[in-house]
Amino acid sequence: MISKKLAIEVLNTALETGADYAEIFYEDSSAHSVLIENGKVETSSSNSLCGVGLRLLKNNQCVYGYTNDLTKKGLLALANSLNKSFHDKRLITVNKLDMIKCKNRNPVTRSYDDVPVEEKIALIREGIDEINSLKDPRIVRTFGSFADNKRFVAVFNSKEKWFKRTTEFGRMAFQVIAADQNGFETGFEGPGAQHAIDYFRTEKVNPRKTARKAAETALKMLTAAECPSGKMPVVIGNGWGGVLFHESCGHPLEASAVAKGLSCFSENKIGDYIASPIVSAVDDSTIPGEWGSIDIDDEGNLGSKRLLIKNGKLNDYMIDDLNGRRMERNGNGACRRQNYRFIPTSRMSNTYICNGKSTPEEIIKATKLGLYAVGFNGGSVDPTTGEFNFGCSEAYIIRDGKIAEPVKGATLIGKGFEILKKIDMIANDLDLAQGMCGASSGSIRTNVGQPTLRVSEVTVGGRGGELK
Amino acid sequence: MGKYDKFFALAKEAGLEQVELSISEFHSLNISLFHGEVDEYKDNNGYAIVARGILNGKCGSASCDVWNKDKAAWLVKEIVANAKVIENDDPIFIFKGSEKYHKVNTYNKDLEKVSIDEKMKNLYALEKALKGIDKRIVEVAGTEYSESTEKHTLVNSNGLNLVQKANYFTFVGQCVAKEGEQTKSGYDFFLGNKFEEFNPEEFAKKIVKLTVDQLGGEACESNKYKAVLHPDVVTSLMRAYIGHANAEEVQKNSSLFIGKIGQKIASSKVTIEDKPLQKNVFARWFDDEGVATYNKPIIKNGRLETYLYNLTTAAKAGVQTTGNGYGGGSKRGIASSFLSLKPGKKPLDQLFEEVGNGVYITDVSGLHAGLNPQSGNFSLQSTGFMIENGKKGKPLDLITVSGNLLEIFKDVLEVGNDVTVSPSGVSAESLLIKKIAVSGK
Repeated sequence: MISKKLAIEVLNTALETGADYAEIFYEDSSAHSVLIENGKVETSSSNSLCGVGLRLLKNNQCVYGYTNDLTKKGLLALANSLNKSFHDKRLITVNKLDMIKCKNRNPVTRSYDDVPVEEKIALIREGIDEINSLKDPRIVRTFGSFADNKRFVAVFNSKEKWFKRTTEFGRMAFQVIAADQNGFETGFEGPGAQHAIDYFRTEKVNPRKTARKAAETALKMLTAAECPSGKMPVVIGNGWGGVLFHESCGHPLEASAVAKGLSCFSENKIGDYIASPIVSAVDDSTIPGEWGSIDIDDEGNLGSKRLLIKNGKLNDYMIDDLNGRRMERNGNGACRRQNYRFIPTSRMSNTYICNGKSTPEEIIKATKLGLYAVGFNGGSVDPTTGEFNFGCSEAYIIRDGKIAEPVKGATLIGKGFEILKKIDMIANDLDLAQGMCGASSGSIRTNVGQPTLRVSEVTVGGRGGELK
Repeated sequence: MGKYDKFFALAKEAGLEQVELSISEFHSLNISLFHGEVDEYKDNNGYAIVARGILNGKCGSASCDVWNKDKAAWLVKEIVANAKVIENDDPIFIFKGSEKYHKVNTYNKDLEKVSIDEKMKNLYALEKALKGIDKRIVEVAGTEYSESTEKHTLVNSNGLNLVQKANYFTFVGQCVAKEGEQTKSGYDFFLGNKFEEFNPEEFAKKIVKLTVDQLGGEACESNKYKAVLHPDVVTSLMRAYIGHANAEEVQKNSSLFIGKIGQKIASSKVTIEDKPLQKNVFARWFDDEGVATYNKPIIKNGRLETYLYNLTTAAKAGVQTTGNGYGGGSKRGIASSFLSLKPGKKPLDQLFEEVGNGVYITDVSGLHAGLNPQSGNFSLQSTGFMIENGKKGKPLDLITVSGNLLEIFKDVLEVGNDVTVSPSGVSAESLLIKKIAVSGK
């Protein structure tokens, strides 16, 4: 850790040539992961990260550098190197640093530092035992893993503020590969949270349930036919289905795209209809213990709940202070980075579409012929054009209001601003699912989420010919 | 060794039989422009150290980014704790060294001499050119210059001490085109280590063309089409395809190439080589286990010649390693190095003529979601053009292409002569293929 006195000296050196903001981001984190493959502990690895990122802003410009040399000499050298980018008189002097106090909504009752690796192995083995109890010869390879991370961060900035934050999180994952004469299929489940390891032994989340689900998906998809292609109504399952909103709308509503006019929603104003009136959507970093929650963001703005879309109308964005300058808005607690090696920017946290009034059964019943997509591999988007894609790992055909045969290899594509307007039914079974989101400030933990919903028409890509 | 003596001494004290350090020391610089101003300037200096060691025949590992004696002690403690829980019985190796290494130079000291003014001049020129070529370009979304210098050291308790230094730079340009209600974006990378080879105006022309050419497109009828695949598309598919040559996947029953050595698995037009010693910025003359690398065909005239091995999988199979042990951690993974698809003789125009009527697929996205690496099935968001009467026709908007990797490489009718090296370290050409399923209207 660096002292407040040294932090003030480094900030003032950084500010010497006219920067209007300076910020020290100190990080000391440790991570551990263990992997069991085909019943045997295959790898066990520890990782430690410790470094400082220094960010200087002047108007819309950002200068950034990082170092692992945490001595006074090393930090001053970094400040002196970065301040060469500006050539004006000093604007700001830092005289003191006051602590920003924030709630700790995500306390981990038992630190992962105190969990022996044997306990993590025992947890994973329960899941593997469950898969083995299926005694299905089509299962050719199994993976079970547990990864945990403890991250200490301290930030000091030229607004004469500082804060520190410790977060801990764990993730349990199972992957099953099944094979028959026709080829291979995979099933994957990976719940995670900012909770102690006991969270992974509850009724909702436990190794047996998680591992069984992964195995069942792989086996079910082995018998699935190729997904038909073309335009069709698609019912998207709750939880992971939220990757649709994450890609099609979440990314284009990040200030990093909006501020520069590079979002497909740049020309829309707050209050414009961008979705069907039954759609409301939220990015909320304050949900206790959730995978994507943060109490305070990487530049010292408190976590918040942002209502992005209210009854179909554009209502808010995810904003960081720098992009906020172009938008004439203040940051709203969305500034995040993977670690000290990345320049932070506006990112999502726990992003979801809110509950509607239908039930999942009503939605299926109301669909004569279409696709029911429940498992997903992730996706990607070009925020400028709004063109997105996401791949389904588990899907079914809906026939006459009933879930019929399984299909595999479905990819859904479209333009975000078009798809949001075609959402015509939303159920009341909101759930969240854990993922890693990659963008310019690195790979970060985010939750996607939604209730079961229907899109009246989506382009589906698959190898199974026309839907009949 | 010097700097790392303390680590080796502590490891010995802790009872570790053999230990190894893989150290990367790097410096990088990134400068991006937006609307004629420096948007981001990033200067980075860092370390990445991966340590592994053997205790009672089991291998544990730990990694960090700071080097001092406390960290050396932490690494040893973690390696011991991790090794104690390992149950995998596979043979493991801390390598003594190959008899001979064929060194390839991947460091150009002239690149260090290029002034910051020269870099900025090229960056401004690129932005200006992107703006000025075509009035349908409504925005230059960003231009970026990056450079990286990395020194990679592999040192172990069996006396191995190998060092490879590399440097390269990249330029990236991205622009947005608009016509009517339609918006399209396009970008491209330039990667090299000879600064004089970069021409901002030529590079800008290429990006603008690939962006505006997409305008006015619409989806085609869903159907199976004869197709030409752009080298960028071939690159993406080929990487996933060659993943099945990974000996570990083969030994663990999850490869589509099991039992296929010596058999014809692709069209006889297809020859794919792994060329770590090719003279370019991607060259690697030793792998992450310290084994001397060499060039070899993986698929020759459609026949599968070899799997790719590291020391562990080679020992299990009773063969020599192919020098493809890459990746960190206690267990080295397996990867290809510089993959190269052997070019054919025909230019792109002639491939279009041979198609007559079909599609030309220029880009695929969402590979992590739409391509199942295990089954080889893919269904991917794509862009491209119709091929009409033997010529490139109107652009295609919002389509997916789907198929299977094994089938695609069996269906190759011709390989083009348009050798294209991608920034991901793959050399590929256009492919003419019998059929691909397109989902559109």
